[in-house]
Amino acid sequence: MSVSLAVTGLVKRFGGLLATDDLSFRIDPGESVGLIGPNGAGKTTVFSQIMGEHRQTSGTIGLDGEEISGLSTSARIRRGVCRTYQVPRPFPDLTVAENVRVGQMPDSIWEMITRSGDRQREVELALSVGFAKGDLDRKPSELSMGNLRKLEMARTLATEPRLMLLDEVFAGLTAAEISVIAELVQSLRADGMTFLIVSHDLKALEPLIDRAIAIDRGAKVAEGPYLDVIKNPRVRASYLGTS
Amino acid sequence: MRLRWHHLALWAALVLGMLLLPYLVGNGTLRTMIFANYLAIFAISWDVLSGRTGYVSFGHPFLIGIGAYTTAILTKRFDVPVEISIPLAVVATMVGGLIVLLPALRIKGSYFALVTLAFMELMYQLVQVIRPDLTGGTRGMSGLPTLTRGAVNGFYLSTALMLAIAISMWLLMRTRLGIALAAIGMNEESVRGSGLSVTRLKTFAFITSAFIAGLGGAFYIHYLGSIAPRALFDINFLFTIIVAALIGGAGTVVGPLIGAFFLTFLLEFLRPYLPGAERYFVYGGMALLIYMYQPKGIIALFEAGLGRLGRSR
Repeated sequence: MSVSLAVTGLVKRFGGLLATDDLSFRIDPGESVGLIGPNGAGKTTVFSQIMGEHRQTSGTIGLDGEEISGLSTSARIRRGVCRTYQVPRPFPDLTVAENVRVGQMPDSIWEMITRSGDRQREVELALSVGFAKGDLDRKPSELSMGNLRKLEMARTLATEPRLMLLDEVFAGLTAAEISVIAELVQSLRADGMTFLIVSHDLKALEPLIDRAIAIDRGAKVAEGPYLDVIKNPRVRASYLGTS
Repeated sequence: MRLRWHHLALWAALVLGMLLLPYLVGNGTLRTMIFANYLAIFAISWDVLSGRTGYVSFGHPFLIGIGAYTTAILTKRFDVPVEISIPLAVVATMVGGLIVLLPALRIKGSYFALVTLAFMELMYQLVQVIRPDLTGGTRGMSGLPTLTRGAVNGFYLSTALMLAIAISMWLLMRTRLGIALAAIGMNEESVRGSGLSVTRLKTFAFITSAFIAGLGGAFYIHYLGSIAPRALFDINFLFTIIVAALIGGAGTVVGPLIGAFFLTFLLEFLRPYLPGAERYFVYGGMALLIYMYQPKGIIALFEAGLGRLGRSR
């Protein structure tokens, strides 16, 4: 079920700002990689380019050896990449179950109309991220930040991804909620899911990843085992703002 | 899609009630009902686009106008039979729906609403200036072929059309498609992030809305037998459509239907007391009250009432 991602020579310019600076990295199937860097380093911009929400200025993005730069976001998601957002984006007037249902829908209007979808799978997904049966009919406005993140995980899992990009999954969570999400990531890793994870909470991030990539001002400054990367003087300097 | 027996029972009761109505009320009431039926069609059409996807159209008379003018010109100037002119009018309106879709690919919210308002205004000016020999210019056209004679037949035809549209839209919106379209109105990015092609869904909503508007517009002018640009591209007409959908309950199909009947009969009821434009003042206030009390419209009030009834039993 896993997938490899190869980013080569990625460059993204917003006018005069170089948001991604000749970035190259590779993630092997089943691997979990942490993407770290100070605020404004361009981590989220990398995510939006992989998803096709922003088109890169130059460079290539390969999924299982196939170039996906020309594909729309929804086409990329159908190929098995998906992302979560720093700020969860639920559908406020839909219930938890219906939110998950949207992730499960086929990208075909005809099938949406004629086929009713797998309700059992919908419930399974919601329960797998830690919702209780009684939560299924609740609206997002009644949910805590931790539950909103779980909901976002369930909805993205419903698209049947093979590679998940998680953006600041621990932001705004209590310690208990962090451990729930961490457990979920671990169990998905055990099933062979490939991950690229952005987090400022390095302590929570460490056990979830096989290695780390540090970027600053859009360029890679270090890559390797987590401890080596955070001990790297250039990485430390970038976090402390000295150069 | 799950259908509940009480929903079907309510639709059956509505159909039956409409069938029996001409035996119970006079022709005057039936004529009012005909207007309510057409308003319901327009409100449902508006709701498919704006109530669901959140792209608030202020230019719905633009679409209705395309349908109305196409069939009016074809029948009056080229002697095309209505059996052909109405389908052509619907197709033309669907093309119009694609034109309205264009700005929706780039802008949303109040900007989109303003652009659609401009569409309506533009069309109003164009039909007066360009080829008035075809459009009838400022005065419009009269003596168009009518489909029915008498209030009873007009009532049955408009009711059949309205119910066919309402029931098919109601069924359609109960499928996953209805949820997907509503999700666009809540968070378009998340719909895209769920792997769905938002543009395709929006195109479907706009074309479906246009289809209904074209059908309604074409049948409406063949009921009236005339077309007047000043009444068609009127801001009051536009607001009546939007207010009907909003006070009935946007995003629900049944809501706009209820809203249309409520509004039409409210205006009719007020007519003897307030013959002039003051009536619109009253209905504006009424709409505001309902909206402040229950933003989800009359249908939400019904549902709350039914819920209370169910609990007390």
